[in-house]
Formats: sequence, C-alpha cells, structure tokens
Amino acid sequence: MSTKPTSFRYVLAAIPMLALSLAVPFVNRVEPRVLGLPFLLAWIAFWVLVTPLFVWGIGRIERRW
Amino acid sequence: MNALIALGTIAVVVLGTILFAVASVRRIRMSPHEYIIGGRGFGAVFLWVLLAGEIYTSFTFLGAAGWTYSFGAPAFYILAYGTFGYVLGYFLLPWIWSYAKERGLLTAPDFFAARYGSKTLATIVAVVQFAAVIPYVTLQLSAIEIFLKIAGYGTVNAEFGAVLSFIAIIAFVFATGLRGTAWASIVKDALVIGALLFVGVAIPLHFFGSPAVMFDQVLRAHPNHVVLGALTAPKGSIWFVTTVLLTGIGFFMGPHSIAAVYSAKDAGVLRRNAMFLPLYQLVLLLVFFAGFSALLIAPGLHGPAADQSFLTIVVRYYPAWIVGFVVATGTLCALVPSTALLLATASIVSKNIVSDLFDRAHDDRARLLVTRVMVVAIGLLALGLWIAYKTTLVSLLLLYYNGVTQFTPAFVFGALSRRTPAWGIIAGIVAGIAVALALALTNTAPFGCNPGFVGLIANVAIVGVATLLSKANEPAAIATGSTLDPVP
Repeated sequence: MSTKPTSFRYVLAAIPMLALSLAVPFVNRVEPRVLGLPFLLAWIAFWVLVTPLFVWGIGRIERRW
Repeated sequence: MNALIALGTIAVVVLGTILFAVASVRRIRMSPHEYIIGGRGFGAVFLWVLLAGEIYTSFTFLGAAGWTYSFGAPAFYILAYGTFGYVLGYFLLPWIWSYAKERGLLTAPDFFAARYGSKTLATIVAVVQFAAVIPYVTLQLSAIEIFLKIAGYGTVNAEFGAVLSFIAIIAFVFATGLRGTAWASIVKDALVIGALLFVGVAIPLHFFGSPAVMFDQVLRAHPNHVVLGALTAPKGSIWFVTTVLLTGIGFFMGPHSIAAVYSAKDAGVLRRNAMFLPLYQLVLLLVFFAGFSALLIAPGLHGPAADQSFLTIVVRYYPAWIVGFVVATGTLCALVPSTALLLATASIVSKNIVSDLFDRAHDDRARLLVTRVMVVAIGLLALGLWIAYKTTLVSLLLLYYNGVTQFTPAFVFGALSRRTPAWGIIAGIVAGIAVALALALTNTAPFGCNPGFVGLIANVAIVGVATLLSKANEPAAIATGSTLDPVP
C-alpha cells in the first residue's frame, strides 16, 4: 500500500463506483461470454458481487471492524 | 376456479403478513419517535430487512422485467445504480445519522432546518418530497392492479381490488408505524427470494435448459438486445452512465429512506448494511433472466403488456397456486414500500408543515394523532390521483429520482463545508428540478444525458458558487432552536 491509508479508502470506494458507471461504455459488448452471460451483464454482475469486499476493505482501513 | 385459488392465495398472504406484523408490534408503546423512526433502535439485521423491504418494490418485478423485455441492456442500470448508491452510502449515511441523533431529528426536512437554519428551505424540501412520493405510490397502485388482473384470470374488477388492498394498507400504517413495516418486510423479503428463484431460474431451465442457452437464443433472435446502443443514442451508453450516476447519487434521498437511516441504532449498523446490501441486488439478475425468457416465449408485446410479460408466461404454463404465490409476492412488493412512503410523507406534513410552519401539534400525543390522520389523508389522496391519472411504470420512477436526487448536494456540502448558505441550497434545488423537468417534458437529452443528471450538474454548480461567495462559518447554519425534538 503505497498511498497513505486515509486516501486509499477513497481509491477503494472509487473503483467499484467507476466500474459500474464510467467504465460501462468500454465494456459494452457481447463477447467474451462469461458463464453464458453477455460480457456487459457479466461485468456489472461481477462488480456487484465484489463491491462488499471493497466496502469491507474500507471499513478495515477505518478500523470499523 | 383458477381465479378463486390465485386470489385466495393472495388474500391469505397479504392478510397473514398484516396480522403477523400487527401481532409483532402490539406491545410497543407509541410515541412520534417510535411511530415514525422506530425509536431509533433498529439493529443491523432488522434494518437490512427494512431497507430490502422498501428498496425492492413491485418495480423490481414489473419494471425491470418489462424493460429487459422491451429494451434489453438499458435495464441493467437497475443492477448497477443500487450498488453505486451503497458505496456512497457507506460514507454519507453514518454522518447523516449522527447529525440527526445529536439533534433528535425526525424527518428529512428536519435535517435541512437544522443544518441550514432555514424554515423556508425545510418547507420547500417538504413540498418537493410530498410531490415526489405521490407518483411513487401511484406506481405501486398500478402494479397491484396489474397483479390482480392477472390473478383474476379476467374475471374480477382489478381496480376495485387494488383500492381495497390499499385501504387495508392505510389502516395497517395507521396502527403500526415504521416497526410494523419492518416486520412485514420479513415476510416480503423471504417471498421475493422464493418467487424470483422460480421465475428467474425455474422458467429458463424449464424452457431452455440453462440461462446460457437462453442467451444464445436471445442473441440469435435479437442480436443487439444485450448491449447498449450508440454513445449518444436514446438509452445509449451516455444515458446509461448518467442514469447510474443520477439514481445512484439519489439512492437514499427518498423521505422513507432517510427515515430508515434515522431508525438505525448506531452508525455501525448503517456501514454494515452498505456492505451487505449489494448482495441482495444480485436477485435482479433473476429478474433479467425472466424478462429475456419472456421475450423468447411470448414475443411481440408492447407497453404495459411488456411489463407483465413474464407473468403472462406463469399464467399460461403453470397451475393457479403458483400464479397466486408469485402474484401475492408482487402485491407485497407494492404494499410494503407504500407503507414506508405513506408514513414518511405523513410525518413530514405533521412535523414540518403542521408543527413548524403553522405552529400546531407540538406535544407527543397531538403529533402522533396528526401523523396518523395524515397517513389516511395522503393515502386517500394518492388513491384518488391514481384513479384519475395512470401511466407506464419506469417513466414515473425517473420522475421521482429527478426530484429527490436534487437534495443530495445539501447533504454532501452539509457534511464537507460549514460555509454553504441556505439560499444556495434553495437556488440549487429549484434550478436542478426546473432543468430536469424542462428537459424531460420537452424530451431533450443533451449528448444523450439523463435530464435529471443535467439538473444535478446545474444544482451542484450553483451550490458550489454560493459556498464560495458566502462568508466562512455563518452561525445561522448551525443554530436551530425550535425545530428540534427532544431525544427520548
């Protein structure tokens, strides 16, 4: 972790938020299919699935849990 | 016979849920704090159930599946924006909660009164929230009518049924308050998962063998249905991004969501919920599966018929008790969020309009009574407007977000700066809503942007400039006085 912890938690927050908004035009495609899902849908579902891990990480940095 | 079984199932589920919730709260001593925000005592699991109960409405069932059927990929925004909202909520909600707890705030406009020291601002917020909630409630009523029409197999007057069930729900809110909504949400959330596993897993398996095969067929029949259109096209990529930003930023800004935030026992409860709620979002994948399945099995439907497409399949291919179970779940998805909306709006009218503006009903007994009377009045008003004015589902929801999202800058600037003046917030909200509605009503979309998002940009710009112009640490921003309630 090269950045200092206080600002690193904002990086952790920004990653899923950007993945689910600004990144979408760049992943707007059918191939490659993931588990049968078109890539766009698989991308969004993946980020929804892993967002709790990012939020958990933010909480750890803030020593909330 | 089919109608009897299906409608009977619905009646049993809805009445059973109401009785369960009434029984669960019967020993609670009522006060305005208890009635409106559950005495600020909800733990992590109970709040999770309540939030899931009020966030995932009948729109989840009908609107998302309908959009998947009609437009395809643009519907995916519904999966994305909630998750965006939860990450933002991790930072914003604990701050709002602490601020409200310290000052004994009861409603969303109370925050504006306390933070910006302006009764005018609080009144504007109260009026906008009132105006935004009514279409949200009519949306739920339209959904109930659709559900009952389907469950009645064309033999009953569905509008009458919707009115009847809504009157039952008004009586329910009158009796129980926010804690009753949370108990009813337990039943609702459990049924939702069951029903979605059926329509989102069993139907694709039954007709196609697997979701992958289903997508193969969707791609063959409608090659462009699972990706977004050109960058600036209607419902294209830019529309998608700006809609996720708009609705994600406004995710917790509904008056009922703020009431749920206030009801938390401590700030940690809200952080845990921000972490775990995205997982509940994943049930929306099943709704998309149901919508795509319907597109293949029953093609050629338009408008409201597309919203009901997957229910049409359930009716056509499955026995009446399954229809009853799925439709009863949908009905609860309309009724349970309506209870939270009615309660929040009624409390805003009683606290911010009757007490703060007209200086009446200050003691606990009077305020509780006025809030309950308002539950009935606003419920009946929504019912009347619904009978007079109905339109398709998702467009109404975007109207709601165009309105309430404009409050977010007040919370963000309120948390980050002590300089932002009340007039800046007022100007921002008014300009934001004016721009959003002007663009929406004239059907203009600059660069394909969502109109509400353009409004939000205007709003933030005005609030930012106002913050720079104002002198530091205006004391009025903190002084609050009479608008406060004692902490129980």
